[in-house]
Amino acid sequence: MNWPTIKLIFRRELRDQLRDRRTLFTVAIMPMLLYPLMGMAMMQVAQFMRESPSRVWIVGEEKLPASPPLIVGGKFNPTFGTAESQLIELIGSTAGDGHFESLIKSATSSSDDSSSVEEILRQEMQKRKMDLAIFIPNQIHIPERPESNLETASQDSTSPPATQVFVLTDSAIDKSRIASERVNRILNQWSKEFSKETLVANEIPTSMIQGVVFTTGDVANKTGKQAAAWSKILPFIIMIWSLTGAFYPAIDLCAGEKERGTFETLLSSPAARSEIAFGKLLTVMTFSMATSFLNLLSMGFTGIFVLTKLGSGMGAGGNLPIGIPPLASIGWLLLALIPISALFSAVALAAAAFARSSKEGQYYLVPLLMISMPLMMIPMLPAAELDFGTSLIPVSGLMLLLRSLIEANYTNCLKFVAPVCAINLACCWLAVRWVIHQFNSETVLFRASERFGIGAWIKHIMRERRSLPSLGSAILCGVVILVAKFFIGFAVTAPQNFGQFALQTVIILVATIFIPSVLMALFLTRNPRKSLRLNGCKITMAAAAILAAIFLNPMFTWLTGFIMHIYPPSGDMLMLQEAVSRILGSAPGLWAIILVFAVAPAIFEEIAFRGFILSGCQSMKGKWKPILLTSLMFGLAHGVIQQTMITFVIGLVLGLIAVQTKSILPCILFHLTHNSLAVLLSQANRTVVEQSPVLRQYLYSTDGQNYQYATFPAILMSVVGVMLIIWFLQLDLKPSNRSEAYGRVPHPN
Amino acid sequence: MIHVRNLQKTYKDIQSGQFTALAGISFDAMPGQIYGLLGPNGAGKTTALRILSTVLQPSEGSAIVNGFNVTEQPEQVRRQIGFVSCNTAIYDRMTSWELVQYFGQLYGMPLDRLHSKMNALFDRFQMNEIRDVLCSKMSTGMKQKVSIVRAMIHNPPVLIFDEATSGLDILVAREVLKTVEQLRDQGKCIVFSSHIMSEVKRLCDRVAIMNRGVILAEGTPTYLAEKHQENDMEELFYQLISRSEAQLESEKNAAGAPPNLASPLTN
Repeated sequence: MNWPTIKLIFRRELRDQLRDRRTLFTVAIMPMLLYPLMGMAMMQVAQFMRESPSRVWIVGEEKLPASPPLIVGGKFNPTFGTAESQLIELIGSTAGDGHFESLIKSATSSSDDSSSVEEILRQEMQKRKMDLAIFIPNQIHIPERPESNLETASQDSTSPPATQVFVLTDSAIDKSRIASERVNRILNQWSKEFSKETLVANEIPTSMIQGVVFTTGDVANKTGKQAAAWSKILPFIIMIWSLTGAFYPAIDLCAGEKERGTFETLLSSPAARSEIAFGKLLTVMTFSMATSFLNLLSMGFTGIFVLTKLGSGMGAGGNLPIGIPPLASIGWLLLALIPISALFSAVALAAAAFARSSKEGQYYLVPLLMISMPLMMIPMLPAAELDFGTSLIPVSGLMLLLRSLIEANYTNCLKFVAPVCAINLACCWLAVRWVIHQFNSETVLFRASERFGIGAWIKHIMRERRSLPSLGSAILCGVVILVAKFFIGFAVTAPQNFGQFALQTVIILVATIFIPSVLMALFLTRNPRKSLRLNGCKITMAAAAILAAIFLNPMFTWLTGFIMHIYPPSGDMLMLQEAVSRILGSAPGLWAIILVFAVAPAIFEEIAFRGFILSGCQSMKGKWKPILLTSLMFGLAHGVIQQTMITFVIGLVLGLIAVQTKSILPCILFHLTHNSLAVLLSQANRTVVEQSPVLRQYLYSTDGQNYQYATFPAILMSVVGVMLIIWFLQLDLKPSNRSEAYGRVPHPN
Repeated sequence: MIHVRNLQKTYKDIQSGQFTALAGISFDAMPGQIYGLLGPNGAGKTTALRILSTVLQPSEGSAIVNGFNVTEQPEQVRRQIGFVSCNTAIYDRMTSWELVQYFGQLYGMPLDRLHSKMNALFDRFQMNEIRDVLCSKMSTGMKQKVSIVRAMIHNPPVLIFDEATSGLDILVAREVLKTVEQLRDQGKCIVFSSHIMSEVKRLCDRVAIMNRGVILAEGTPTYLAEKHQENDMEELFYQLISRSEAQLESEKNAAGAPPNLASPLTN
């Protein structure tokens, strides 16, 4: 790639966009005008905003004690809550409420069940449009100390019941909830005062009911509090605006150019397509970053100004958690803006390159927003923290890292900065590769509209079938498996015995994994046998696969333990494991468990993953990319994060064996052996191990239940296992005619 | 200068499976010669010219432009050609001066040589008045002038005009044709596609009449007139196309399949 050409294209595109009123409006004018205008509007509205009073209906007000007074002058006593009492409109029962009182009387006298009283109150509240109702059925007196000594009092189990007061709210209505909070604060204070007066009246020192006094404190300083508040807001703002800022320039630079016919002129110039793609990408990135930065700036200044004004107006300016964001956080944000903008710009540009017109481009970018939003929302969840798992999620990991940086939690950042950067840079690289691919694809650049019909499409698929599956059908198969597994999860019920469990497991494997892959091989390829890799193999390969599974088993067992240590299983997962262990106890024999856990998955999963999916992925160049993609899908199909990681690694070995031997038979044998050993290890018990001198050498247990490989044999076995994998790597089988099988067409420059 | 052999281009099409835009065309165009590609809409002219300008890749066959193969040496080919399309294809938000300078720089021309060349071309095409005018403010004729200057800025030995007079008024169209003639006289190899017979008769040294991706007749206008005993170029074109359509129709009826007229890649 020629950098001066990229620079030239970048400068032209930049100038072009700066002359476009729509882009300028979105990038600069909107943030500079919109937020101050919104702020002004907020301040105007705030002037007229008053907290609306709660309508509280009190029935039986006359039954309240004279002291402490709950109601003074038709309002709640301000001693128990000055602000609250001002915001409550107290409505007492009137003389015309005889009918209601008789209803209540009959309800309270006929049964002890308070639900009938609540039902009457609910109906009356709705009729009278009240937010809350207080009903005092009986006269409240200050109780007197019983005339008995302590000994008899302790023996008397039937102490007088506490005075009952009904407080009824409707939690489905916001106004009622607010009323409840206000009234409860007053009633709690009043209740405390009432207790104190009871003690005083009975000549008991009030200090006796003080109990334990909790003194609370907040160690966070003002900067820390502000950083915590900003750390949740700022990353989201820069993410959303960098994505939005990339949209319009990307559409204009690709779909817009196609519409205006200038794209063809540029393509016939000496600039290589990768240079054109990079020049445009840098432009989109610049606008994405500028939009994000200007929005941040404008929103920040407006926000601080408005909050300060509102705060001082309310007399609580000093207590606002948001002030000027710490200077370091701005620096981190600007630094993070580069990879964020690069990622979003590349994805937006690639999507826009596919569009024929600006209008069509907008249709493609909406799904892009829908995909990105959940990734941006995950870090906003209160429980979301930066750990190894979240650091591996693109965008979300970066947002969480940014949050930690703003909160000055540098130790945690240092621990996870490597995976976060690696994942996000890998995503950037993939997105940039996608853009270049789009710019190299004739069908993308000169795509014409076609009439779409299901019939014609099916005919087209059947007509265009190739000997082996395409990458698209391999990915489709993976997605179908994932979706089918997701939905079948809702259909299955908890099995009661091993028979049900075995049947359910096999049906799930057949329905969600085996059938989709076989059907796709039959209908989407001309050579289903070859597509499913149902080829024979040499006996040495089969034997090597079995031996590799045996010798690598300690390593995979250790890996499982390591992953479980990093990501401890959740409570649900442990319960599930326990339930499965219980069910396995009712199995007719070890052979049955091996049949369900080893034989069935080995056959069905290998046919789907190392068969159809890997064959399709092999239309990509190189050996490792197809193996990597297949392993990823294999891992994801296992659902649980811990299992996904383990099966991803095992999938890499299985993929390598499949590619090198061109057959799934060694893979089935490897899978079968690996799963069988896992079953045997989990079912191993003290009697069996102690009776076998060989097993005693290789296995040990600290609790007599869970057996593990002994360290030295495990290392030796792993070395042999790795050597076997190297042997597979060195297999040099006659290469098949790839381009003929996959129908590859060379890309133009 | 341009040697095209058995050039084919097929596209995948959901409706018909495969659409053949070019079914193996061959021709040669020499320096100091205007080679005309004639044909109705969808004949394959634009596809052939897009392959010559390396925007598209051929499915089969070869095309050599000034000694460079379009498939193997696309970058070198692009340095040999200037491409002028029917839709002017100039950037609306640039002035004519900026636009020509941009393309000159893309061709790697040093700024001093580029500016002197630009001054000469702007003088020659009487464009000095519009050098600082945004292209969006220009008339179609002015835009086409800018487009031609843009294609000529790096002094390419081959110029490709794809229906370059389409949509222009008679005065501008004549000016464009005059420019094309001048370029031919300078020894440039020019490929000129059109469906306006009078232009072809006036300009072209050799002509290929195309329909549905094949060349129906090829040669000098005089040769074609003598061979088909028809002096009127328009009439000759009409007869050849009608005959070709009738033949395709009879083949279609015999095979029972409808012909695919739509070109998925023709804008």
